[in-house]
Amino acid sequence: MSILEVKNLRKSFGNTEVLKDINFTLEAGEVLSIIGSSGSGKTTLLRCLNFLETPDSGLILVQGKPLFNSEDTTAKSDAEIRRSRQHFGLVFQSFNLFPQYTALKNVTLASELQAKERPDYKTNKKYILEDIRKNGERLLTQVGLFDKRDNYPHQLSGGQQQRVAIARALSLSPDILCFDEPTSALDPELTGEVLKVIKGLADHNTTMVIVTHEMQFAREVSDKVLFMDSGYVVEYGTPEEVFDHPQHERTQQFLLRYSGNE
Amino acid sequence: MFETVLLSLSEGFVKSLEVFFLTLIGAIPLGLLISFGSMSKFKPLSFLVKVIVWIVRGSPLMLQLLIIYFGPGLIFGNNWWGSGSEGRFIAAMVAFIFNYACYFSEIFRGGIEGIPQGQYEAGEVLGMTKSQIFFKVILMQVVKRIVPPMGNEVITLIKDTSLVRVISVYELMWNGQSFIKSSGLIWPLFFTGVFYLAFNGIVTLLLGYAEKKLDYFKV
Ligand SMILES: Nc1ncnc2c1ncn2[C@@H]1O[C@H](COP(=O)(O)OP(=O)(O)OP(=O)(O)O)[C@@H](O)[C@H]1O
Ligand SMILES: [Mg+2]
Repeated sequence: MSILEVKNLRKSFGNTEVLKDINFTLEAGEVLSIIGSSGSGKTTLLRCLNFLETPDSGLILVQGKPLFNSEDTTAKSDAEIRRSRQHFGLVFQSFNLFPQYTALKNVTLASELQAKERPDYKTNKKYILEDIRKNGERLLTQVGLFDKRDNYPHQLSGGQQQRVAIARALSLSPDILCFDEPTSALDPELTGEVLKVIKGLADHNTTMVIVTHEMQFAREVSDKVLFMDSGYVVEYGTPEEVFDHPQHERTQQFLLRYSGNE
Repeated sequence: MFETVLLSLSEGFVKSLEVFFLTLIGAIPLGLLISFGSMSKFKPLSFLVKVIVWIVRGSPLMLQLLIIYFGPGLIFGNNWWGSGSEGRFIAAMVAFIFNYACYFSEIFRGGIEGIPQGQYEAGEVLGMTKSQIFFKVILMQVVKRIVPPMGNEVITLIKDTSLVRVISVYELMWNGQSFIKSSGLIWPLFFTGVFYLAFNGIVTLLLGYAEKKLDYFKV
């Protein structure tokens, strides 16, 4: 069974239809890169997956279980939406770290808040928090920032902040980790360290959806590539299929523009 | 004579301090409530709240004191506040708390609206509840943003406490001025200035300390 299935997803803002019938599937352990020109709806798609936007219609299935179904008109409670969200993690273009917390606390905060709902929290508090801290330190080690665990975000470079944000997004062990142009806000010399971390996650079979303008990176890291244009999935396939043998003119034009830049 | 003056001024100063602290205690929570009202998605409510805030901030506090104290008696023929100094004090506190709550609400609103949307969204995608996001993520950033403007208001409040004398609440300056009539002395009035300055100095130090304490992060 596919880990993620998106069917007939549509989303409008007012009169502008931003997503027009989006369909794709993703297998566990695969990396999907989403490419496309500005305004084509890539961010909106990620935001729909993470329940930051509500699609107008369509279906989102995770491991065959519908998390969003426009046919199902029963209103979802806040708690249900929060539970659905747990399947996804999101790394933002602008990091969005919590400035008043250290790198480690940024990573552990959500886990700590969730632990409070455990029935055994009061009795095992010390061990639970100890576990959470260890997990946070493990994740910071994984992104190469263990020695920066006590730094506040403003004491970190952009690349380091984004790596903390990745560790934070991993802290609740999401099934699918989403990235929205994770390196676009970074100085060129800092993109490498972030891409390397993402590459490392791919090597460990983390299921990921990555919106990116880094074509070379997308080609290296992806199992599937999806080209979006004005709200449609125009091209979907392996990196070889999409980059080397694009079937559609719009894809060819887009890639030509990008290879010109590189 | 000096002792008599000092005693009288100290009594007045205690009254000024009461006005100061009760205003802060009342106006901060009320101001937060009003700021939520002005940010409400329910348009009629936010409009109404904004009009009230505009009126309160746009007219003199002294006028509001007079209207709140004399209004009920003159309009409804019934002095809600009770007679004597206690009634006057209650009316003064109502006027002060409401006035300052309106000023604070604008500061709170600016502080809350200045937090980037991404902070809320980062909390949301991590499965936090709305109240967890507010108390664990947003609040501290708002506090840091509002300490300087709140500090300005608090300094103004110290000086504004002298206004309660217009409805005969005997605070520091009233007592200082009374020596002009009773003994022909002007220096007690000047001496009240020392109290204001000293108190101001202490509050300024505390505010500076608070800002420093919040220096560990940047927003
Ligand atoms: N909240 C919103 N309200 C109205 N229109 C929106 C909103 N969010 C996005 N849009 C519009 O939807 C379209 C797609 O936006 P989106 O951000 O998804 O594009 P994108 O592919 O991520 O572009 P980019 O590469 O520049 O990030 C744009 O035309 C944008 O103006
Ligand atoms: Mg985008």
